[in-house]
Amino acid sequence: MLSLKKLLFRGGAPTGLPEDVRASLDAWRSSKAPALDDLHFHTRYVVVDIVSSGLDPDKDQLLGIAASSIWQGTIQPDDTFYIDFSTLDGEGAAVDRQLMAFLLFAAKAPLVTYHVPYVGGFLQRAFNERLGLDFQPQWVDMAWLMPAMFEEQGHTVMPLDHWLECFGLDSGEGRRDAMANTLLLGRIFQMLLVRAVGKQIDTAARLVDESRASSFLRRTH
Amino acid sequence: MTTQQQSGQEMVVGQMETALRQNGRNRMAGHTVAFLRNHAPFNKMKPEALQHFAEKAQIAFYPAGSEIIGPAAGNVRFFYLIESGKVQARQAGEVTVTEYSILSLGAGEGFPIGAVTAGRPSTNHYSAVTDTFCYLLPAEDFLALMSSSPEFNLFCTRYIASLLDQSRRQLQLQFAQRASEQQTLNSPLAGIGARSPITVTPQTVLRAALETMSQAGIGSLVIAGEDRKPVGVFTRTDLLERVVLAQLPLTTPIGEAMTPNPFMLEEHATAYDAMFAMATHGIRHVLVTDAEGHLTGVVSERDLFSLQRVGLRQIRQSIDGARNVEALQQAAADVRQLAFNMLAQGVGSEQLTQFISALNDALTRRVIQLNLENHNFDGIEWSWLAFGSEGRDEQTFSTDQDNGIVFQPPADADVAALKQRFLAYALDVNKDLDRCGFPLCKGNIMASNPQWCLTLDEWKEQFGTWIRKPHPDALLNATIFFDFRSLYGKAELADAMRRHLLALTASNPMFLRAMAKNALDVEPPLGKIRDFLTDLEPDAPGKIDLKKYGSRIFVDVARIYAMASGVHNTNSIQRLRLASQRLNIRGDEVNAILDALNFIQLLRLQHQYLEGEPGKQGDNLIDPETLNELDRRILKESFRQARKIQTRLKLDYQVN
Repeated sequence: MLSLKKLLFRGGAPTGLPEDVRASLDAWRSSKAPALDDLHFHTRYVVVDIVSSGLDPDKDQLLGIAASSIWQGTIQPDDTFYIDFSTLDGEGAAVDRQLMAFLLFAAKAPLVTYHVPYVGGFLQRAFNERLGLDFQPQWVDMAWLMPAMFEEQGHTVMPLDHWLECFGLDSGEGRRDAMANTLLLGRIFQMLLVRAVGKQIDTAARLVDESRASSFLRRTH
Repeated sequence: MTTQQQSGQEMVVGQMETALRQNGRNRMAGHTVAFLRNHAPFNKMKPEALQHFAEKAQIAFYPAGSEIIGPAAGNVRFFYLIESGKVQARQAGEVTVTEYSILSLGAGEGFPIGAVTAGRPSTNHYSAVTDTFCYLLPAEDFLALMSSSPEFNLFCTRYIASLLDQSRRQLQLQFAQRASEQQTLNSPLAGIGARSPITVTPQTVLRAALETMSQAGIGSLVIAGEDRKPVGVFTRTDLLERVVLAQLPLTTPIGEAMTPNPFMLEEHATAYDAMFAMATHGIRHVLVTDAEGHLTGVVSERDLFSLQRVGLRQIRQSIDGARNVEALQQAAADVRQLAFNMLAQGVGSEQLTQFISALNDALTRRVIQLNLENHNFDGIEWSWLAFGSEGRDEQTFSTDQDNGIVFQPPADADVAALKQRFLAYALDVNKDLDRCGFPLCKGNIMASNPQWCLTLDEWKEQFGTWIRKPHPDALLNATIFFDFRSLYGKAELADAMRRHLLALTASNPMFLRAMAKNALDVEPPLGKIRDFLTDLEPDAPGKIDLKKYGSRIFVDVARIYAMASGVHNTNSIQRLRLASQRLNIRGDEVNAILDALNFIQLLRLQHQYLEGEPGKQGDNLIDPETLNELDRRILKESFRQARKIQTRLKLDYQVN
């Protein structure tokens, strides 16, 4: 759906955007990002997971986005979000609106996921191709943070299933859909926040920093 | 979902966001529902109810060792359903509300059902034993679910009902503990008998010592040195043998008349040791000392006797065989003790109050009989009537006298003179009853009052006047006098009164309406904001009069329905049961009402026994704050039942 043809056709420029999307995008660009110096409890985190046709953000297709917010210590059922691109058959304006809707939903909150290069890679390409947006949110990468926070469980980056197993959250139902994954990530993230506070990482800004640092350290050393 | 997306063409971004949020919510709810389906009672609930739960339930994490909710957290805002992990419930405070003190909860179990239902702080501390995830359903959604889902409602109601059951058992346990504390012969002497007994020194002259005994109303005296070490005892027997018969001058020091070397036991010796010593040495008192030999108490034969369980049969025998009021006084104390034992054994308030009434009846009858030895009414038909709570078989531990006499003068008799004889007799009975622990009626509703010592015709006329002219005094009298029962003598006279009364009420519907209006004057003390109104009695701020604002409401309503449906019984529970059958009130509805009345009565009994000072008339004033959480909740529910029957009465008699 987000194929090379469409990329060429659109030329990477947002000129063909529907009017409402363009207006929303402009408003979004000029909106202020929430301050990240507040305690976790008061910070709205958006946990996000995607569905894709493969693992390569440059070649494979983004098929869906599932997101849920964590705010005041809980996963909020009325602050969740789900896009299924597969039913749209690449229809242009609707895809643009859905991506824009995700931006509105996330509202520049720090995004939490597992493996930022994978999730972030697909999102970045989609926003770039469709909306001409260089999507650079504040990422919290649990793949790197988990071993840093739960040293006793392992020192290296491990598949998500490993952590689910560690914490007994493995539902054992085989393949999970993106929303199930997001909700599991949300649960693990709540556990992670407790550990983070124990290590004086008590604000979103510090958590984002820690995420960057741990991924940098572990990649380079 | 697909319809929303197909129409995506026409949507603007804002609408799209809303639609996609809805998608997200549906998906998340789907996962929550999948969890709920695996657990009772959710597996029995309808899909809409589950969806409602799932769309509102947040997910929260509690690390091992953290408190999830406790009494200090204020009113409970969420119903917690454990998704994974283990939670421990621990009772706050020292008083155990439920039978468990620590309870472990696992996946699929919810808490705190009682507190969230009642919208108040939790009584328990709930803390995560292991890492725990919970679904948090906001309290308002919980309540909405309770009202929309019958299955969920049933589950929660049953849960609360099981708490009620636990509360009742807890109450019994409390009594049982006290009973065993009081009753075992293995208990140490430190807790038995008189503390700090009166002592005199051996140098005290007899006159002074005897005056001390007389003033204190005691039959024996301990003689101890300045160091409070006992050197002897002096009893009435000694007085007779060593003083009076020996013609000892009253100026003699008591040391010369006492029995020296009294038998002593240390405080940690048991009641059994004391009993054994009394049997072996033929003594009636054992002095109790501390380890240094200082006097700390005296245990008498009588103290030990009361340790043994008093049986119903023995009491009946001692009542029926009593030759004088003194013997009956002891029997009255035994009745109280036995009633208490029965409370401990878990006898419900309905049976218990009837049982107290039955023994009190026997006692009263014996007093009536004993006094007949001095008054002769041969050849005259008469009956001693019990009114009020005694008339209803609903006596609690502290009930004053409400009685009267009905008599049928022979055709040629001088009614006025006969009445004088009955009044003189009644006065003796009233006084003796007072000595047996039934205080004289403050309102003078007693047989010795000429107003309530009437011939059958006078009673009929009196009833007729009250019913035809139901002014406030008449209505007040009706609430006391219409609950009558024959206690002694010709029961047919009371039956005739009742038939007359029911015929009168049946033909005067306005009277019942006035009674209904009167019964609705007092409302159960339920607050709009607070749970209870505790400032209704100016003399007792912070307290609720459980009689005035509790049981009396039920009693008044029961009386009206009984008279309306021609029920002859006077007992409120029987009245409500029988009247409800005649008036087609649903069985479960009546049972809920009766449970409420029983609970209030049980609380009254408990209060009177556990909090009343021994030997003093107990009251009905309870401070709801001192009740445990559970009793408070049940009391509130009981008051709701009171409001319910009042509402019914209001409708039935169209009182506004």
